[in-house]
Amino acid sequence: MAGTLIIAPTAFVARPTRMSPASAAGSGLLTETSLDPDLAIVQRCLTGDEAAWEQLVKAHVRRIYAVCYRFTGDEAEAQDLTQEVFLRVFRTLRSFRAGEGSFQVWLHRLTRNLLIDHYRRHRAHRATEPLDQQLPLLEERSGATSRTDSLLAGREAAEQLASALQQLSPELREAVILRDLEGMEYREIAAVLRIPEGTVKSRINRGRGELARILRRRRVLA
Amino acid sequence: MTCAELEALLCDYVEGALALPQRSLVESHLRQCPSCSALAADARAAFEFLRRAPAVEPPPELLTRILFQIPERVQSPSGLRHGLRAWLRPLLQPRFAMGMAMTILSFSMLGRFAGLGPRQLSPAELHPARVWQALDDTAHRAWERARKFYLSLRVVYEIQSQLREWSQQIQEAALSGTGTSPEPSLPAEPESGKRPNPGETEP
Repeated sequence: MAGTLIIAPTAFVARPTRMSPASAAGSGLLTETSLDPDLAIVQRCLTGDEAAWEQLVKAHVRRIYAVCYRFTGDEAEAQDLTQEVFLRVFRTLRSFRAGEGSFQVWLHRLTRNLLIDHYRRHRAHRATEPLDQQLPLLEERSGATSRTDSLLAGREAAEQLASALQQLSPELREAVILRDLEGMEYREIAAVLRIPEGTVKSRINRGRGELARILRRRRVLA
Repeated sequence: MTCAELEALLCDYVEGALALPQRSLVESHLRQCPSCSALAADARAAFEFLRRAPAVEPPPELLTRILFQIPERVQSPSGLRHGLRAWLRPLLQPRFAMGMAMTILSFSMLGRFAGLGPRQLSPAELHPARVWQALDDTAHRAWERARKFYLSLRVVYEIQSQLREWSQQIQEAALSGTGTSPEPSLPAEPESGKRPNPGETEP
């Protein structure tokens, strides 16, 4: 039923093909959402095009997995969560409204909600574990001097970083991940987290500061 | 510049995205404020560390797992029609369709050999009693035909005649020499492997 389509058809009108981007921007018609490269794919998905679903998954799976892995610090959990994210996308794509932001923001918000749910579910379990469980081992392995450069080369660095990120509060963690590891714009992060841009920057500052102190305690940072 | 104002600019400053006039303002504040200076140093160190962090790649099987679930999990966009299509999807798989076609072909061939040819049906023939009668009739005919076919087989005929011969011999032996020969003269090992029941030899 066309009436149940939530995405406004006008959002998919390829305005740049009818006028040059410069003139469109000049006339104020070129909205932010009409530039979203995912919109055409999303529309095809909604018509039942399986190839479009595949394209959508392939375009975003790396990023979503990376966010889940950075947030949880566990490969198996990250895989399960990524799978769950895409299952929710399959189920709820029709609730995505093109006028309310880009598909990427919508997808990251969905991922974020899932991650926070996951964090809350496992918080009780984690509270029983020592906060710095891996610290003695890692400190032992690290020399007295900074090994930043050699560590960064491989898997160990990723593990160090993942475990250090786990010690940040989820609010600071998600902000730092989205900005410094996924390279999202501040306004996009603000849209994902539904907080003002100033709060995003404040969280990133605090997150970076705390992370540096954790890494320094572990002698990963000088 | 206050510490709160500095915090608003710190992200851009650490990332090197601040224009010159603001950058000099920030730097002059950092020279005067030890706590802001410490925060800026930490933020820059973490930023540099994170910038060089290796990329995370999902395992290839994850993509396969997710893609595998697309057709099953996609919600029906248009209710009944799509639901029916989703429900029928397993039946429309090439392997299943081919198997189904071969089954129908086999049954039709069997039916043809059994004399169940296609013909026009009248409404009266669809009455349950008539259907049952026809089925009963067909079953009996089939049974009789199968029985006749079995009995007319050469090997069956030979076994039966052999058995008859043996029973005749046993009867003759029992009648002629009761007491003289306790054991009736049995023929050599039967070819068919079927032996007469030893109980029959006992009087």
